[in-house]
Amino acid sequence: MELEAVIGLEIHVQTKTRSKMFSSAPNAFGGLPNTQVGLFDVAFPGTMPSVNKEAVVHALRLANALHMQIDPLVRFDRKNYFYPDLPKGFQITQQFHPLGKDGYLDVETGDNNTRRILIQRLHMEEDTCKQTHFSDYTLLDYNRAGIPLLEVVTEPMISSGQEAMAFVEALRRAVTFMGISDGKMEEGSLRCDVNVSLREKGEACFGPKVEIKNLNSIRSVGLAIDFEIKRQTELLENGKPITQETRRYDERSGETVWMRDKENEVDYHYLPEPNIPPIRLSEAFIRQAIDSCPESYEGKKRRYLDMGISRLDAEALLSDAALSSYFDKANQDPSCVLHLIHLLLGEVLAYLNAQEVGISSFSLSPDTLFQLAKKRNEGFTHQQVVDLFDYCLDHSGEPVDHAVQILGLVPPSLDVDSARLIASQTISDNPQSVLDYRQGKDRAFGFLVGQALKRAKGRVDPSVLAKVMAELLKKG
Amino acid sequence: MSYLDLPLSQIHISLVQKKVTPLDLTQEALTRAKASQDNAFEYIAENEALAFASALLEPEEDNLLWGIPYAAKDNLSTKGIPTTASSNSLNGYVPSFDATVIARLKEKKAVLIGKTTLDELAMGGSGTTGHKGATFNPYDQSHQRMIGGSSCGSAAVVASGIVPFALGSDTGDSIRKPAGYSGIIGVKPTWGRISRFGLFPFAPSMDHVGYFTRHAEDLPILFEALAGPDPKDLTCSSLPVQNFDGDKTFRIIVLDDVMASLPSGVIRDAFEGSLEKLEVRGCEIVHLEFGLDLLKAIYPTYIILSSAEASSNDANIDGLKFGPYHAGESYQEAMAKARSNGFSELIRRRFAIGSFALSEENRETMFVRAQRIRSMIVERVNEVLQKGDFIYLPTASSIAPLFSDALERLPKDPLPVNHHLILGNFAGLPSINMPLGYERGMPFGATLMGHAFQEGPLFAACSLLEDITGLGGAYFGEKD
Repeated sequence: MELEAVIGLEIHVQTKTRSKMFSSAPNAFGGLPNTQVGLFDVAFPGTMPSVNKEAVVHALRLANALHMQIDPLVRFDRKNYFYPDLPKGFQITQQFHPLGKDGYLDVETGDNNTRRILIQRLHMEEDTCKQTHFSDYTLLDYNRAGIPLLEVVTEPMISSGQEAMAFVEALRRAVTFMGISDGKMEEGSLRCDVNVSLREKGEACFGPKVEIKNLNSIRSVGLAIDFEIKRQTELLENGKPITQETRRYDERSGETVWMRDKENEVDYHYLPEPNIPPIRLSEAFIRQAIDSCPESYEGKKRRYLDMGISRLDAEALLSDAALSSYFDKANQDPSCVLHLIHLLLGEVLAYLNAQEVGISSFSLSPDTLFQLAKKRNEGFTHQQVVDLFDYCLDHSGEPVDHAVQILGLVPPSLDVDSARLIASQTISDNPQSVLDYRQGKDRAFGFLVGQALKRAKGRVDPSVLAKVMAELLKKG
Repeated sequence: MSYLDLPLSQIHISLVQKKVTPLDLTQEALTRAKASQDNAFEYIAENEALAFASALLEPEEDNLLWGIPYAAKDNLSTKGIPTTASSNSLNGYVPSFDATVIARLKEKKAVLIGKTTLDELAMGGSGTTGHKGATFNPYDQSHQRMIGGSSCGSAAVVASGIVPFALGSDTGDSIRKPAGYSGIIGVKPTWGRISRFGLFPFAPSMDHVGYFTRHAEDLPILFEALAGPDPKDLTCSSLPVQNFDGDKTFRIIVLDDVMASLPSGVIRDAFEGSLEKLEVRGCEIVHLEFGLDLLKAIYPTYIILSSAEASSNDANIDGLKFGPYHAGESYQEAMAKARSNGFSELIRRRFAIGSFALSEENRETMFVRAQRIRSMIVERVNEVLQKGDFIYLPTASSIAPLFSDALERLPKDPLPVNHHLILGNFAGLPSINMPLGYERGMPFGATLMGHAFQEGPLFAACSLLEDITGLGGAYFGEKD
């Protein structure tokens, strides 16, 4: 029998807001433990929730980007269970009336194919405390309690680890480009749970579902699914049943490990949240949230291609939301966009990689980089601009024109006459090479141009010089 | 006659004229509080109150609450003052913030003299289930009759003249019922009128903060101080509080199928007598049937919905963050110990009922069904109210029961007359108990339930009724 995998994803995205989902405590990553906590976050008796408008705006933007149907009546429910990381003993979520329903996301599945993954729902909820376990005690950090979360649930229709990774990556791009989230799986600002089941190919019903938790990178998502498909396939092939259960991915062994059975699944005793009355979003509010949304990944890519940027360069720029937004700020004149990209993807990335930092910690402003790129249009050679770049890195804040003066750079002349003079001098000084050239040794041409460039000391544009050299040699 | 016994407006005149000071009033209230034998206080805030009152030197002429001593039910969060909701699970808990109502009264310079007892976590109607034991009805010095709950302590301190007013909370009838049993006025406003921020929740969709007083003329004064929008409570309405100076001739609705469950006797006679007098004063009495099926559904529906909400609201009490911590081998053990040691059996039973009703297999047939029935009942109440200004009924079928007769068990065949007050919680309508008379020296009352956000006319009706009964200002032990 031929088996096929049916995979569904549940992705939690922490949204970047100033305050928490239901309290006014700040939402920021990396503060000292328990320094960003409101009364409500610790669930002191009598405290009540407020609703974070910014989080609702983020949710609307994501719902729109995922082509979802938006429910303008915002309602919340309680999901009740006891756990040390859950201060109130319940989580406020949107079980019965998610903000978004029935959307999709097109993902690239390799070999230039795309596949439309349907999305069941998107809803708002709040994060739990962060637990740090030690041998005989556990520490609780309430900074994380109440951070707004957007949960995206796909239809069970993903067929491989590869496709799941592509989906997570596409969603990560969506949320990072729209400024909704950092989308960092390693920091937990994007988290993914996976449901995997197998069935005979072509069958309509589903096999028993295995949920996998603790996936800390996109790579782990793929590896865990591949492992799980293999594990379930082997069980079936050996005539053993698959049980509905929850498993955890162990990064070290690359295996999924049993956590709990279905019998131990929690009954969440859902209840409508009585302290938040239903909130009706006006059409204007929804419109405004969507219209003011930062440009999406797809939108930017289309724009880049329209600007004449190659697909490869466009994708390189878009590999990082911060990089592309840096590029957008630096791209102030379409006539030097290619020079700009050359600098950004070449020198700048090389420098950042060497320093092991991201573009957000880059010391040169987008405007400075633009000024540097513009120098190419003004006739400076790439090497001269690189020299300027190096100078500016060491003297951050100094204007580029000042650097030009200090380094005493002048743009090489495009004047054909002076080029011709240098070329003819070079030809007379190197008779042997000219002879070699005439006898068909191509290398000799390169040597002659090189000699001429040395003589020109950067005052003549190399391309002009090469052209003139070729002409003179042909004339004999 | 003490200044404390007067209506607020008269105490205020004496304060403004400096015949008496806030400190004098506070000391007297504290003396009465300490002499009380009713087990009405969780905490007498003697030092805090004396310090606060001593600082009140220059009377504020426009502020009728300036320097007035009061008490608050111990499920209202008070900054720096222990708040336990009469539950062992919260022993030692000292909140770091004031409930909105406490903050508003503090701003008005009213003097909090103490926190009053309640049925544990406000769940109960007998005033017997708090961790300090039963609170007694001041009218029965033999301590055999209850005062009712859950706001037992606040009712007792107003009914025994310790303070002119006190704060309570009402989820089913927790203000109005004890007010009825102790011969004072008990107000549950419209849901969303008075902020619940800082009220320890029992069932938020039915919880109300309200108050007790002895004078109908105090009703709008306290209401104005306490009501109004609060950014800390999203369910708090922004509708303005309006004064009422309209005509005092009302169309009064009496529900005959509720009255049918009231035995004949002193209460029935007094109630019917009051109807006659109201008619004499120009009111019109409209007799209607509510529908017996719906009336009988009130109590079970209430138990399911309130227990379901309670099971969720009190899940925050797990010993990990506040309240007594119980060490265990695992978090499950620590939480289970905190909850089984902290809550009485009655509370745990409510949580069990609530959890059961919300569980996956029962949700549809119990919780969702109860929600639907609640909607039907609310629809019917609003329909009935179209026929008049307010519904008027006896608060309970009898005077305060004997402790020996009362068990915190679900009644097999609940009398509609004992559960119609819940209509006000289901529909969020303003509802007020007024003293009506006495039987064998024990008080009983009648309840008026009006239109949402129309407290003004209801207060006027209360004044009219007070005029008729002549019971304004009455309390146990008052000296002429």
